[in-house]
Amino acid sequence: MARITAGVGSSHVPLLGVAVDQGKTGDDYFGPIFAGYEWTRQWESDTARPDVVILVYNDHASAFDMKVIPTFAIGCGERYKAADEGWGPRQVPDVEGHADLAWHIAQSLILDDFDMTIINEMDVDHGLTVPLSMMFGTPDKWPVKVVPLAVNVVTYPVPSGNRCWALGEAIARAVASFPEDLNVQIWGTGGMSHQLQGPRAGLLNREWDNRFLDALVGDSDAARHIPHIEYLRETGSEGIEMVMWLVMRGALGAKTRCLHRHYHIPCSNTAIGHIVLEPAE
Amino acid sequence: MKQDIHEYLAELEDIPGTRVFTAARARRGYWLNQFAMSLMKPENRERWKAGERQYLEDWPMTAEQKEAILARDYNRCLDLGGNVYFLAKVFSTDGLSFAEAVSTMTDMSFPEYRDMMLQGGRPPEGNRSIKGGY
Repeated sequence: MARITAGVGSSHVPLLGVAVDQGKTGDDYFGPIFAGYEWTRQWESDTARPDVVILVYNDHASAFDMKVIPTFAIGCGERYKAADEGWGPRQVPDVEGHADLAWHIAQSLILDDFDMTIINEMDVDHGLTVPLSMMFGTPDKWPVKVVPLAVNVVTYPVPSGNRCWALGEAIARAVASFPEDLNVQIWGTGGMSHQLQGPRAGLLNREWDNRFLDALVGDSDAARHIPHIEYLRETGSEGIEMVMWLVMRGALGAKTRCLHRHYHIPCSNTAIGHIVLEPAE
Repeated sequence: MKQDIHEYLAELEDIPGTRVFTAARARRGYWLNQFAMSLMKPENRERWKAGERQYLEDWPMTAEQKEAILARDYNRCLDLGGNVYFLAKVFSTDGLSFAEAVSTMTDMSFPEYRDMMLQGGRPPEGNRSIKGGY
């Protein structure tokens, strides 16, 4: 049977992709950010070795424009190319899907009352490719298959934290009923505090972000009840992306153990947060 | 628990210096954002660079929206329904980094903004609520 063995949370700032693509990951600015991912890169390649990653992310006006705005969408395709976000596509390997698992999850979720949008063809932007670069570096081929799970966190109302957490729980049930023996991770990406717009741009909140990271560890489910307005006031308008971490957290069951954690300010406009969790009894 | 939509939307307007991308803004800015989206294609970027005003003639945007884009007045664009992820296509085409473009919406120069970020960013204190002033 397939099983979810770990959850990873990570920011997905586009500038991190630029740093990787331009070989700047060791410089004074980026060095401390990437150093905090070194543990995870080792762990992913030596110990964890997942077959598939369910990668929860948001599209930043790349695959989806204003024509269609799916709240929760799952990629059921065979492969995805890096999107051209206005300066040419990132030179990273194509992302290979796991269509069998993705369709199984999509069907299971719909029967479980989550009315998913199904995507067969799309390009994937920095929201998806930057976390892959952070966790796997610069391989010729990504070492995992990916099930993209896109969440609308751009046009309001975005889904509640509670709904995201419940979606995670339903994803875990769906994975557990997939007959093939697969080691599956779920990643929640985006955040942490940042605001990219208006006179308040540049807002960061180290204290709140760290309380959020604390809340993902152990058996508390308090984070699922944080209202949108709290993310917006405390962590900036784009801090709302953290609801996507709750899909990951919800999929890990009642209790988690923290394997690794990293926090750094700043990266461009954003606070970088990263956590590795595993389900605990 | 389900929240009342009117209360929910009213709260979103109570954040200083912030335009949350509500349905009302999304409707107002539909063509502004779709225009920006068109710059995802290299051939459109070339046409845009060759003549911005002429390029905008193809888009059913308001005159205000067109002037705001031509002036790169991003706060005005937000007021007129623009969303930063769409507007990013414009400033990427201009060759601006996200941080530099974002700094133009604040009362700081880019070097000042960069320094603020290096020193921990803009603090939440006093920036959370217009009505509450906290």
